[in-house]
Amino acid sequence: MKNKFKIFLAAVLILTVSAGIIKADDFTDAMLKAKKNLQTAMNSYDEKALLKSRGEFERILQLKKQEWIVNYYIALIDYSLASSAMSDPSKKDVVKKYTESGFANLDKSILVRDDFADSYVLRYALQFNRWVYEQDKMNDIIAASEEAKTKAEKLEPENPRLYLMDGISTYYTPEMFGGGVKKAVPLLEKSLDLFGKRTEKEAYYPDWGKDMTYGFLCLGYLKRDDEGDKKLAADLYSKASTEFPNSTFLSGYVKKEMDKLK
Amino acid sequence: MKLFILLILLSVSAGLHAQSDSMKTSVIKGTVKNSKGIPVEGANVVIEGTIDGSTTDDKGYYEFETSKSGKRVIIFTAVDFGEKKINTVIDPGSTLILDVTLSNTEFKTDEITVTASSFTSGENSKVTLSPLEITRIPGADADLYRAITTFPGSNQVDEGSRIAVRGGDPSEVLTFLDGASLYNPFLFSDNYNTSSYSTVNPWGMKGINFSSGGFSAKYGNVLSAVLDLQSYDMPQGKGLFAIIGLANAGLSGVYRTNDGKFGATFSAGQFFVKPFLEINKDNTDFSPVPTASNIGGTLVFRTSRTGLLKYYLNYSYDNMGIRSESPTYSGYYFGRTKNFFTNLKYSFAPTDISLLSTSVSLSTYNRTNKYGVLDEVSNSLYGKVRTDFGTPVAEKIDLSAGLEYEYNDAKENGRMPAYFYNLREEAPYFTLDYLQKTGRAGAYAELKYRLSDDFLVQGGLRSDYYTLTKDAVVDPRLSLVFRVTNHSFLKAATGIYHQFPSLIYFLQGNTTNLKPEQAVHYILGYEYNRDNDFILRIESFYKDYSRLVSNSYNYYNYTSEGSGFSKGIDAFIKVRLKPKFNGWISYSYVDSKRTPYDGADKISADFDITHTLSVVSEYNVTDYLTVGATYKVSTGKPYTPVTGSIYDPSQNAYIPLYAERNSGRFPAYTRIDMNAQYIFSLFGKFAVAFLALNNILNTGNLYEYSYNFDYTQKKTINSSNFRTIYFGMGLQL
Repeated sequence: MKNKFKIFLAAVLILTVSAGIIKADDFTDAMLKAKKNLQTAMNSYDEKALLKSRGEFERILQLKKQEWIVNYYIALIDYSLASSAMSDPSKKDVVKKYTESGFANLDKSILVRDDFADSYVLRYALQFNRWVYEQDKMNDIIAASEEAKTKAEKLEPENPRLYLMDGISTYYTPEMFGGGVKKAVPLLEKSLDLFGKRTEKEAYYPDWGKDMTYGFLCLGYLKRDDEGDKKLAADLYSKASTEFPNSTFLSGYVKKEMDKLK
Repeated sequence: MKLFILLILLSVSAGLHAQSDSMKTSVIKGTVKNSKGIPVEGANVVIEGTIDGSTTDDKGYYEFETSKSGKRVIIFTAVDFGEKKINTVIDPGSTLILDVTLSNTEFKTDEITVTASSFTSGENSKVTLSPLEITRIPGADADLYRAITTFPGSNQVDEGSRIAVRGGDPSEVLTFLDGASLYNPFLFSDNYNTSSYSTVNPWGMKGINFSSGGFSAKYGNVLSAVLDLQSYDMPQGKGLFAIIGLANAGLSGVYRTNDGKFGATFSAGQFFVKPFLEINKDNTDFSPVPTASNIGGTLVFRTSRTGLLKYYLNYSYDNMGIRSESPTYSGYYFGRTKNFFTNLKYSFAPTDISLLSTSVSLSTYNRTNKYGVLDEVSNSLYGKVRTDFGTPVAEKIDLSAGLEYEYNDAKENGRMPAYFYNLREEAPYFTLDYLQKTGRAGAYAELKYRLSDDFLVQGGLRSDYYTLTKDAVVDPRLSLVFRVTNHSFLKAATGIYHQFPSLIYFLQGNTTNLKPEQAVHYILGYEYNRDNDFILRIESFYKDYSRLVSNSYNYYNYTSEGSGFSKGIDAFIKVRLKPKFNGWISYSYVDSKRTPYDGADKISADFDITHTLSVVSEYNVTDYLTVGATYKVSTGKPYTPVTGSIYDPSQNAYIPLYAERNSGRFPAYTRIDMNAQYIFSLFGKFAVAFLALNNILNTGNLYEYSYNFDYTQKKTINSSNFRTIYFGMGLQL
């Protein structure tokens, strides 16, 4: 009888533990699925797909597990939604809405986990969007950008997305203010190098940005136009297109800009 | 044992039953709209505790299947909207339709706000002016009060920073900083023929809102206008900024700890106008040459997730002497002021949707005036404790309420001329050694009711009790805004406003019989605003003054018998042609009359400036170079002409005989200012260079008339604001 009772207890324990595992798998599965959908949405630059993906992550929050990474992704989508509205001057309200929402979601993420470098990279990136609607807070934006960048550097000096964001910022900053394409190219090259060496700790951790690095580096080479740069750009674009065949950023924006520069 | 097996079997079969029930999928679908009935795209719908749900499409439609059943909570969320939870029962295999309306959690930039008489230039409809705009307005000299005078309804006093609003007196304008009343925030205030400058650094302000009438019940003890300033809470990072110009230098900085729990800001500035006077060949006879210093800053502590403790401090000092001629004395007018202001504010959110803030402030003002026999020192002290609370009380109703107590004392020491027409150093005088105190307790409550997305009503009531005269006043106030079309609004406001007379009147009149002055505002306006790119605003106003401090024939015998009115129209047109051009035209018509003394007919008030026109334009030549010009013209202000004189042998001086008060007018005032700013990089850091050409036509605007000893000859004294050039640069360190 004693043995039977032990077997019964063991069965209960196994059931309980396996239920826990199932729950954990639910989260991982849901995250991997949501991340895949997000990649598709980001590749297509489609606002509707991004909104759909945002909802998917919000629903994962209901599982009450690893909320910090879920909130990070929601902030990333907010950033993408804001960025896609930036080219249209009549959508200044949209830029503001999603940028502020991005900051709020990132704060929630950092409150739970404050040592995740990518959160600060994203905060650094979000600061750029404030130029659209808070030009009068120039000093604030500069100071807050520097702070986020420093924090990310301290936590993970070899983060490829940090170099990507730094590269993009330098690319668009006029030479007279310490920017320019000549300074941006080495940063983007470093970013690409780091992407090549990188393996994420968890499958559902962020790995976005490599296609952007490829794209900006192509444009950087063409704009710099040193000897051999045109070939470098063409070769790199061909490599990028093979690696990211569905990237609208590459096939749309970058291709168009490259054609203009040629 | 059999029983045990039976129980297991039963529970297994129950589980299987439940499983078969849950295997039957249900469908949940519906639409999500905002309160205007417009579909909300991207709203998230989810069954609480599960990942079953969907996102709405561009028609606000959602649909999803779920195997969950029974009593469930469905959560609806969307960016910019509040969360909505619906308790429901999901029957297995059924279709559940849930149509939901979400309400905005916060005001969007196109939200209608009760801002009658607030002329907006900034991007955000809640902010009247942005710091960047203030620095760009030609002739404003980066001073926020001067910038405000390019909007309708306000006029500069002596081309300085003090302002008179809609025909009222400059003392009828209250500056409100983080809940504290900021009195005398000026350098060189009230000095002879010297323009005043503000001590408020606009770059330290996150919100600058100016209302020239019809403002909320939140503001007490003010008759005409409110400048409401909110300083930054937690600084965003670390940095230093230095500025050096022809007449001043300054250093400012921000700091925040990495954990974001402590922040600090500071700014320090020094005026040294000698190089400015020499380069501009200004012959004004100064002794001493004007100098001023200003230092201030904030300390901010984040005490909890929503708690913030903020300490603000500002000290300024100015000193100058300017030669002045009068019928009985020729010498230097000497003026010096010391101004200290400090405020400690604690705010936190007792709940997710409410905010409570309490502030304690103290300000002191010390002023010395010397001219001939006049040698006067005045001191005033203000202390204030204030608490404000705000919370939504229903879906469409917000409540705000507050309490405050303010202490004020004023001291006057020194000597005053016994005969105003004899200012010689050896002239008779009487000695001043007075102290007067008063207190004011105030309370207000206000409801903001969004009757619909297009109609907002704000009604409030405040009451103040003045301890010196034991007077209690009750001020009801009402504002409403109606959105006529997507871009046009009708605005109206009315209310009663009270302000306690300056204690100087009580001291000089040796009385406690003066009552709080009263004004009733009536405002009606229309605004067309197309995304801040084109704004047209027209507003009419009427202010009915009563119980104003008035003189009887005895010069120092004050009463509360004065009355008057001020009426007029403000018009404002702003055009922004992105990305190059930004400009506006503002025009004001004012008719302001007051009784000059008890029982007299109403005559022009001191600031009855009938027509005022300002044209401001800014042009971005490149991304780094901006140029601008401002043209201002206005009717000359009223003055009281001298018609003759009588000799007083006892004083060996002539007594001027005056025409009816304010029966004369100065010539029209005109001025054109230009400026340019260039942004560049220096040592790899952000830098800005600026150039200002003020009064480029060198117009001799009249400051006052001066007379010879027997008043038979009149001499014009022009403003000291001649054509000047000013340049400087700022550098991020």
